[in-house]
Parts: sequence; structure tokens; C-alpha cells
Amino acid sequence: MDNDNKVTTQVIETEVPMGTIHSAALEPYRLRLFVEDEIVRDAELTVGVNHRGIERIMEGLPVEKANSLTEKICGICSNSHIWNSCLVAEKGLEIDVPPRAEYIRIIMEELERLHSHLLYLAHGSEVLGHETFAMRLFYIRETVMELLRMIGGNRVQYGASIIGGVRPRCDLDEMRIQKIIEGMDYVEEKVLDFADRFIRDPMVMSRISGIAAITKEDARRLATTGPSLRATGIGEDLRLDMKQYEPFEFDVITQDTGDVKANLLMRVLEIPESIKIIRQAIKDLPDGKITNRSWEMQDTDIIRSYIEVPRGKLYHSYKIEDGRVRNSIVRTPSITNINTMEFACIGTHITDAQLAIVQCDPCFTCTDRAVQIVDQPFRKNRII
Amino acid sequence: MGLKSYSRARAVHVMLVYTGGCNGCDIEIVNCIFSPKYDAEQYKVFLTWNPREADVLVVTGPVTKHVEEPLKAIYESIPEPKAVVAAGACATMGGVYKNIYGDIPSEEIAGPVDEIIPVAAKIPGCAVRPEDVLSGVVAALPLLLNAK
Repeated sequence: MDNDNKVTTQVIETEVPMGTIHSAALEPYRLRLFVEDEIVRDAELTVGVNHRGIERIMEGLPVEKANSLTEKICGICSNSHIWNSCLVAEKGLEIDVPPRAEYIRIIMEELERLHSHLLYLAHGSEVLGHETFAMRLFYIRETVMELLRMIGGNRVQYGASIIGGVRPRCDLDEMRIQKIIEGMDYVEEKVLDFADRFIRDPMVMSRISGIAAITKEDARRLATTGPSLRATGIGEDLRLDMKQYEPFEFDVITQDTGDVKANLLMRVLEIPESIKIIRQAIKDLPDGKITNRSWEMQDTDIIRSYIEVPRGKLYHSYKIEDGRVRNSIVRTPSITNINTMEFACIGTHITDAQLAIVQCDPCFTCTDRAVQIVDQPFRKNRII
Repeated sequence: MGLKSYSRARAVHVMLVYTGGCNGCDIEIVNCIFSPKYDAEQYKVFLTWNPREADVLVVTGPVTKHVEEPLKAIYESIPEPKAVVAAGACATMGGVYKNIYGDIPSEEIAGPVDEIIPVAAKIPGCAVRPEDVLSGVVAALPLLLNAK
């Protein structure tokens, strides 16, 4: 009888809650850290505040309208969403995209990867407490944002892809090509300069080396994607398999340790690779049309499409009925990376927990569309 | 200009609340206040994350049902005088999430910001341009400076 009453599992009583709206986190999410002597023993990350039900309101929209709605899923990787959504329709309706449009889409995607990685690095530096680095990176990022504004007409939601090609506004003329070449030279020089200072800074290195490390096996088990997976040493990149990326030469960067340092260096080293792809695309930019308008709407089965976006694998699928979208599913990379964030927190000092979350490049607006909220019993807690 | 207005004009603290948009406006505003290019700090506009020291509340996103109560609580805890600026298409009129009509209407959106808390200035755009954010905050300033 005594044996039955014995507590076999250890109950951790000290809980440090954060959020849902908290000054240290840019996006609203709820983080519960269960600590023992300032060491995190368990972590729980809850999203759901941003739930807007994108897939539900996509139901029954015309395909073009639904494509532009997917762009509003995320303000960081908006081009990836509209590109993949157009790819779904093109795959189902068997539309050939002109080569010039493919190249312009690649240029937009790689510019977006540049701005996303620079934002990640700036945000990471801010969480580290190194505001000078963050300011420098924000300044470099402005060059990329100006290029995106020049091509797409807007700094965030550029809407470059349409079904069958790219918008006429996004065509590249001589002046724009020259601006992109100059911008890439500037970004490469500044980023390499930053990388040099970053690696040689002993204070920063001691703060990030060996923190929140994830092994290869854990990364596989937690289904980590994107740069966070490659930082653990697995060289998996969907760009190698995509036919859009076939003409381009680039290296897949990997790191070994899987800690915060590896994750930050991963993004730094991916920036020159993206610049390499943009330069090749500019050099070999084919002539010709940018939109193929000779296609007809028809009913299709469910079509699936995967692409590699700045944070990992992105999946879109829907079927078309009478020119309208049905059964739409969007799966963003951050939904699997949330597990990695929770796992990375365990065993770290409580001051490093935020760093462990940031190392996986969280984007909770992307993630929040698919999560169904049942109830929130924590509503009584203080929010600030 | 009285002493109060004089000192208020030299330390305008902006707090950003993010209520379920796409992150685009959010990053643009943080960039606008933060980044060296648009550097709002040269006009004595500072970013804060503490409502108790904020003067201007910038709200982005189409307030989802889950942030409706927290948004009210944040608004309540800002000391007078205060001004609310709604930034972006979602905050001003609900954006695509409220106004797109597929087969199933959206049920997650509690409405544009002005249905929940009083709004002094609205900044249009999807996403907002940093120049517009600056002019929007400046447009709300007379409310603060002329207050008793």
C-alpha cells in the first residue's frame, strides 16, 4: 500500500511563465519554463493567439484570390507562400512557366532569403544583448528591402508570382539589373565584414558556444527542418531537388554542433550562397515573355507542392472545383521547429532559454493558422 | 508651450502591440523606430515595451478574439494622456482576414481596432511604409502635447 502512494515522477513546482504578450518576445506566444535552481527542466510553448483561420476563409475563393490571400500568411516569407500556391495551381492545370519568369521568381525568393536571414541575425544579436550588431544588420537589410521594393513595388507583400508567371511590374530592365548587381556587391562586402567581426568577438562567442545544442538524432526525431536541421550536420536542402533550382550552382552549408553558434553561423554562411544564386540568375537571365496566359481552368484532384523557404520545408495543397479552391492545407516549417525550440530549452540556464527559442528562427504567425484552440485556462494570469 | 508639453515633446515613447496580423507591419515598425536608416530616435521618439511608460500605442493586426482582452488591459494601463495609432490595413478596417468572402466567413476576428479602443490616427497600407508610420505618430502628437 505504501508503495502505491509513493510519487515516482518528480514534480517541478517552480514555473516561470512568459507571455502571451511579453516585452522580450516580439510575437505573442506563451512560454512556460519549469525550472530547478535556474536550470530549465521542461518547457512548454503555446501558440494560438494569432489564429485567423486562413485555410477556412480560403475555402471557395477563386484561385487567383486565394493565391494572393496565402501571401498574407506571413510578412517575412510572403513570396514563398504565393510562389508555392501558384506552383500548386500550375502543377494541377499543367501550365508551362516561361524561363524568364522562373528566373525572376528565383531572384525574388533568394532576396527574401537574404532579408529573412539578416532579420534573424539582427534579432539574435538583440537577444544576445549586442545592439550594435543588430543595428548594423538592420542597416544592411535595408539595401535588400529597397531592392524588393524596386522590383515588387512594396517592401513586404510584393506579390510577384501569378498563375503562369510573374506580374508585369516585376519584369527586370537594365536599370533594375544594375541596381541588383550593385546591391549584391554591397551586401556581400558588409556581411563578410560582419562575419569577421562576429567570429573574432570573444564575448559573443563565449555567450553562444555550446548553448542549447541539438544532436543529429534529436533533430531527426523532432522533424526539424531548414537551416536549424543543417546546423546539426544533416545536409538536407529541398533546393537540390527542385527543378527551378537546376540551372544554378550553390553549396549546401552545414555545421556540426547544432548549438546557437552553429545556427547563427549557418545563416551568415548561407547569405553568400544566396548572393551566388542571384548573380547567376542575373547573368543568364533569359529573354522572352514573363507570363504564360494560354491556359484554361479545369477541375483537378488534390495537388501537393513542397518548396524550400528560408525556414525549411513549406507545403501547400488544394484542389480546384469550378475555378474555386477546396480543401486547402498549408504546413509551414515553424510548426515542426516548435518542438525543437521546446527541446532546446531543456537543460539550459534560464537566461539562455530565450536564445534557445530564437535559434530556431521562430515565426509564429505562419504557424498559427493551423492550430485549433480549444480553451485557454490561463486567461486569469497577468499578461504584462 | 508649457513645461509639461515641452518635456513631453522631448520623450515620446511608442509601444507596439501586435494583435495577430502577418508580422509585416510589425517588422516594418520595429525597423522604422530601430534601424539606422529611418531612425526615429533623432526626433525623440523611442520604442518601449512597457505600457506604464508609453505615450503612444501603435496597434497592428486585425485584433483576434484571443488578444481582445489583453489589448484592453494594455490600453487601460497606459497613463493619461495617451493616443492610439492603428497601423496597417488590418488594424484600420480588418484587412483581408475580415473582408474576404469565401464560403465560410471568418469568425476569428474581433474587429478593427477602433471597435475596441478609441483610435486617434489611422495609417493605411499593407504593409505600412516606415515614412507613413512616422507621419502617423506625428499626427497623434498634438493630443499628447495639448493635454492638461
